[in-house]
Amino acid sequence: MSVKDLGHAATVTREEQRGQFETRYMRINVGPQHPSTHGVLRLVVDLDGEEIVGIKPQIGYLHTGFEKTMENRTYQQCVTYSNRMDYLHGFSHDLAYVLSVEKLMDARVPERAERIRVALNELNRIASHLVFIGTGLLDMGALTPFFYTMRERETLLDIFELVCGVRMNFGYFRVGGLYRDVPDEFFPAVDQFLETFPKMIVQYERLFAKNDIFVNRLKNIGVLSRETALDWGLTGPSLRASGVPLDFRKAAPYSGYQDYDFDVPTYDAGDALSRMLIRIDEMRESMKIVRQAVDRMEPGPIRDPDRRISLPPRSELENSMEAVIFHFKLVTEGFHPPRGEVYVATESARGELGYYIVSDGGSMPYRVKIRVPSLINLQSLEPACLGGLFADMVVNIASLDPIMGDVDK
Amino acid sequence: MSDKPTDVELAAATKATVDALEPLGGVLSTFKDMVSVTVPKEHVVEAVRLAKENGFEMVSDVFGIDYLTYPGHQGKRFTVVYNMRNPDGTGRLFIRVELDDGETLPTITHLFKAANFMEREVYDMFGVVFEGHPDLRKLLTPEDFEGHPHRKDFPLGETPTLFGEGRFLDPAAFRAGLIGADPGLTGWKGGAAKGITSEQDFGQGAGMEGKESGKP
Amino acid sequence: MGLRDLFEKDVQELENEGILFSGLEKLVAWGRSNSLWPATFGLACCAIEMMQSTNARNDMSRFGSEVFRASPRQADVMIVAGRLSKKMAPIMRRVYEQMPDPKWVISMGACASSGGMFNNYAIVQNVDSVVPVDIFVPGCPPRPEALVYAVMQLQKKVRGEAFDEHGVELPMVEGWSR
Repeated sequence: MSVKDLGHAATVTREEQRGQFETRYMRINVGPQHPSTHGVLRLVVDLDGEEIVGIKPQIGYLHTGFEKTMENRTYQQCVTYSNRMDYLHGFSHDLAYVLSVEKLMDARVPERAERIRVALNELNRIASHLVFIGTGLLDMGALTPFFYTMRERETLLDIFELVCGVRMNFGYFRVGGLYRDVPDEFFPAVDQFLETFPKMIVQYERLFAKNDIFVNRLKNIGVLSRETALDWGLTGPSLRASGVPLDFRKAAPYSGYQDYDFDVPTYDAGDALSRMLIRIDEMRESMKIVRQAVDRMEPGPIRDPDRRISLPPRSELENSMEAVIFHFKLVTEGFHPPRGEVYVATESARGELGYYIVSDGGSMPYRVKIRVPSLINLQSLEPACLGGLFADMVVNIASLDPIMGDVDK
Repeated sequence: MSDKPTDVELAAATKATVDALEPLGGVLSTFKDMVSVTVPKEHVVEAVRLAKENGFEMVSDVFGIDYLTYPGHQGKRFTVVYNMRNPDGTGRLFIRVELDDGETLPTITHLFKAANFMEREVYDMFGVVFEGHPDLRKLLTPEDFEGHPHRKDFPLGETPTLFGEGRFLDPAAFRAGLIGADPGLTGWKGGAAKGITSEQDFGQGAGMEGKESGKP
Repeated sequence: MGLRDLFEKDVQELENEGILFSGLEKLVAWGRSNSLWPATFGLACCAIEMMQSTNARNDMSRFGSEVFRASPRQADVMIVAGRLSKKMAPIMRRVYEQMPDPKWVISMGACASSGGMFNNYAIVQNVDSVVPVDIFVPGCPPRPEALVYAVMQLQKKVRGEAFDEHGVELPMVEGWSR
């Protein structure tokens, strides 16, 4: 049995191997419960000594059937499901879903709602990258940066709790706008965060980017060239670390991103070090976007006033019969988008995220297909790890940043 | 899908690809700035290769749609959609293929290695076999799981909720009242959740064959 | 009663009075409750909140959970954090069986306790059907403070100070049983 026959990595039995007993390569199962996998990821690894000659991710240990469940919930109820997939950057899924439905319904989201959405989305991106750094370095054996990044993350989660009521798994975005306006304490809290965070980024850089041990562990490990990255479908910061400046916030702007002034950092090396450093740069860019979004916020409505989508204000219910009927219909049935299929691509912390929604005119989606970035990015683990050492596999997984809730849907 | 092929200004790369796909039998349709080309099953690999040559160097997604209970759908049951993207940012193209149950499709993994997991997911969820795929087996569901979950005739698998006092809530019956399949005790004929509005006669085209639940 | 007095009484006599061994059991239970080492079984979003409960603000190591042992053979308590899919259930049972006695299970979050918002073909509707659960923590996700409270309740249960919903005292885990 040669290296090429690694197709059915999970299902090859002893009987099949009889007569060709492989004594050169050792097959190891890096099981679903393992401290160094970002969730329940199972890898079947073939080793030649310490060198990896074959690696196959086996996934599905967190498969939740989101898409089928969403087919049985109204459009407004699906917002509670979307952020449970990529639970670290929950707002990205919420935003992608809500944008798709709004495109289907031709809803007009007011400007203030868009700015709040962008600000929260970028703050959540910073939170996600903080976990990336913390757990990535934890995988490599460093305990201290974890506590430092979690400290910043607690500040961000306090801001989210102020606005949305929950720290994680928000139910704040609605089709047509937001659930409610941000409280007044939001702005001083964001100001304070943006003031203190740049110094913290410098602290993280000093902890690992200038540290010889980490640089040696990350430099030239898991190199993905531009062609390999595009061929294997990589998107997001990992693709930008391989030299392709593709960012959907610039390439296909949504939700007002074309108005903000920010750069898209790109590195050419394609190794694990660039994948880690690029997220630090992205945190800086996200801070810029948050600053601009918060500065340009004007008072105004936060939901599309279209009665087909949003509930009428309670004062109208006393006077107008139509308002009562709309209210009744929206609460009991939900709104009805026209028939059709839409797709909006957004940029999550992990890559291209989009919801392809097929609507049949009813109040529940007919089919929701979620193009999750982590599932496609996980395929790139194979070209990144082949030929490298087993210990580098951990580094490669950490630098590709898969989230198993996102992978398994 | 809307049948006005020229209501969207096509970008140059997209237009070139659409023109190249036309001799293969590609039918263009657009909907709110989404450009789709439906090609016959035999030419799907050629269509994807032509798209790749014309600049659509990334395949974002390969997925399936089961139109079994889509009200008013004529045609084959499944549609497999290839979501192609241009890394320069000039556009996105959807290549659609229509299939019936049991038909197979050729794989595109030799063109795009990224399609490996995507096609496996379509196989797992819908049962569409991709010929030539290097490793076609289930991706997300357990190994001993039978059936293809995203098909419309596969049940959601809800379990009833049992409360302490012995009463229980059956989610399917609860939701059947919402979608209009079963008016239940109140007789409220609500529910236009599956493509039928309250004013129409429900009980048809929503996967509830033979349910004449009464006229409004 | 001083140590000298203990030694002067006959051990049998002491056992009959229920003094010596119950005191030792209480000592062992106190030691166990204050050093519950969790096995990492973070599955989904609740795992992130479990991680947050170990950070500097909500420090769970104050309560004895100093380290999260990766190997189940060195762990006392398994915190099932997140939704358990049916594909993962046999693996969870295997990890649970690899843990040495005495062991406890905290089911963290709505998904682990009852299937949560996912009532479908893919999620186990109650983790109690796979492993025996001691403490259920509601929430989606539960705040780190809620998880810390759950650990405190588990400590009470380990020490034998816990009561069930009818007010009946729950038995303490015996110190010397096999």
